[in-house]
Amino acid sequence: MSKKLFMRGNEVIAEAAINAGCRFYAGYPITPQNEIPEYMSWRMSDVGGVFIQAESELAAINMVYGASAAGARAMTSSSSPGISLKQETISYLAGAELPAVIVNMQRGGPGLGNISGSQADYFQAVKGGGHGDYKMLVYAPYNLQELWDLTMLAFDKADEYRNPVMILGDGILGQMMEPFYQTPYTKPNLSEKTWALTGCKGRGPNVIKSLYMGEGELEFRNSILQEKYKKMRDKEVRFEAIGVEDAELIVVAFGIAARIALSAVKRLRKEGFKIGFFRPVTLYPFPEKELAALANADRRFITIELNAGQMVEDVRLAVNGKSEVLFYGRTGGAIMTPEEIYEELSASPRFQAGAAVLKS
Amino acid sequence: MATPTGITLKELSKKEGLLTSGHRMCAGCGAPIIVKMVLLAAEGPIIAANATGCLEVSTCISDYTAWKIPWIHNAFENAAATLSGVETMYRSLKKQGKISKDIKFIAFGGDGGTYDIGLQSLSGAMERGHDMLYVCYDNGAYMNTGIQRSSATPFGADTTTCPAGSVIPGKTQNRKNLTKIMAAHNIPYAAQASPSHWMDLVKKVKKALSITGPKFMNILSPCNRGWRSRTDDAIMLSRLGVETCYWPLYEIEDGATKVTFKPKEKKPLVDFLKPQGRFKHLFAPENEWMLKKFQEIVDKEWESLLKSDSGRCDSKPSGKAPGAE
Repeated sequence: MSKKLFMRGNEVIAEAAINAGCRFYAGYPITPQNEIPEYMSWRMSDVGGVFIQAESELAAINMVYGASAAGARAMTSSSSPGISLKQETISYLAGAELPAVIVNMQRGGPGLGNISGSQADYFQAVKGGGHGDYKMLVYAPYNLQELWDLTMLAFDKADEYRNPVMILGDGILGQMMEPFYQTPYTKPNLSEKTWALTGCKGRGPNVIKSLYMGEGELEFRNSILQEKYKKMRDKEVRFEAIGVEDAELIVVAFGIAARIALSAVKRLRKEGFKIGFFRPVTLYPFPEKELAALANADRRFITIELNAGQMVEDVRLAVNGKSEVLFYGRTGGAIMTPEEIYEELSASPRFQAGAAVLKS
Repeated sequence: MATPTGITLKELSKKEGLLTSGHRMCAGCGAPIIVKMVLLAAEGPIIAANATGCLEVSTCISDYTAWKIPWIHNAFENAAATLSGVETMYRSLKKQGKISKDIKFIAFGGDGGTYDIGLQSLSGAMERGHDMLYVCYDNGAYMNTGIQRSSATPFGADTTTCPAGSVIPGKTQNRKNLTKIMAAHNIPYAAQASPSHWMDLVKKVKKALSITGPKFMNILSPCNRGWRSRTDDAIMLSRLGVETCYWPLYEIEDGATKVTFKPKEKKPLVDFLKPQGRFKHLFAPENEWMLKKFQEIVDKEWESLLKSDSGRCDSKPSGKAPGAE
């Protein structure tokens, strides 16, 4: 049995990164993720790693680019406005095929917004917030156990695919404390980083770049990247489904909204409603085949998010008109309660159509 | 440029304060004192810009503003760029005859938003020559987000991202000299001031605002949360900062440096460090070398400043602080 610990979400991420062999962290202050750089500032020295506080978010992620090119497991973290600043280099990391872990503990936006938890950076994370045709693996943990497990997994997947990986959390997960099991880290059998810039004595020089000016060169590079993203879509989808088999209404939610929604779903199931729960754990790749397989004319979906309706678009694309897809969301760092979702699902006139199905 | 004279507390006290009480800055914070002094020194219409930070967050809670003047906030790194846009449009409107008022532009930023992430936009604004005064209230760390180190954090200070302990004794690097960096842009006016020496501060602001073009002022801003000091120590600590030559008062006008206050007896740096919890660990026997090194850094910078001094010091031969009158 692994050790049970009681820690704050942001610190769980930092310790999980170190446990997975992250030895380079560069960060910059922004609430609600300050505990990550603060924890790293003292903890990295225990394990012979490097902590750097940069002069800006841009500098922090470019330091990660440098450390990753040198072969290190490298990470940076921030919250929404700071993640916006990092977009340029996320695109460069993807273009240069460099592994890196980027943590976004989302806060309310747009603009300076506020410092409450939010899920309004879904599009930015999964559709490519930076320029060019690129994709990141995006993990959406919904409790501290997953913060621990998925952060460690993120480093393995970043190395496996030579691609940036994002942990898309939020201010609530970052600030909350709850127990979790410190499951041990087992490094998978990954190939050596022969591409890394480690000094070319005894071998030919390595080149890491995202600039391809020759005729057709960039299109060829892009085709390699697209093949890689297809492989991610085939192999990396993760999700959780509860009670979907007989469900007339399936709640689709990720991250902290899923956790809140699950309480309401459990209560409704107990009361006899035929309601199911579907939680994408990877937001890219999105579990579209799995959702498509569940879609039919007798079944409705409702997406619940802490934004104005972002993932709902991917749910609609996945079900492709076979089921009606409803939406309930809160914006601007406002947090929904399980009671609120219960009311919306079972009684609100806004969802009378859905409610009718439930009661039939 | 003639030095403005005839500034008295009596005269200043009759002026309307342009930063109202009721803002949410901590008790004993240096920043609102500085803002009030700067705004008291200004005449006529003012437009202010603010970088993200304690001052910005605490003076625009909800739909309320503590500012009795037009005020604009944009992203953390862009107070100087945002004000560049406002000031340029003002000049264009003035040229078109659509505006006749003579408006002064003042930007406020903390050290994080000025020394670090905002340096690029500040440098750009100064180089392009916008008619603005940029005021940095330097409290030596990212206080708004929980006391993380900045490039203004002094040597040896304990912060949440350079925590003093068995591995490192607080910040191991020296702070950067931003006032000199701004002066190196060959702007017409750059100065350092302290709220303890209010008359010196007010004079400098008046002089800066009388000059057309880019101006920069760096003002020491005690923060009892981050400095781990008592809430009523702000003025005492800023005075000690000046009297120990940790924070020399000087101005660089058209390339000529003038030290505006020379202490009669330079106090030892420990007088400034001792009341602050962030330097507590420096007084442990094993860190004695750090106190010595810190004193050497301060001495070297002070001597270098004196060498560049054009010798037009305003302060009386007694060395009495202008603000102490």
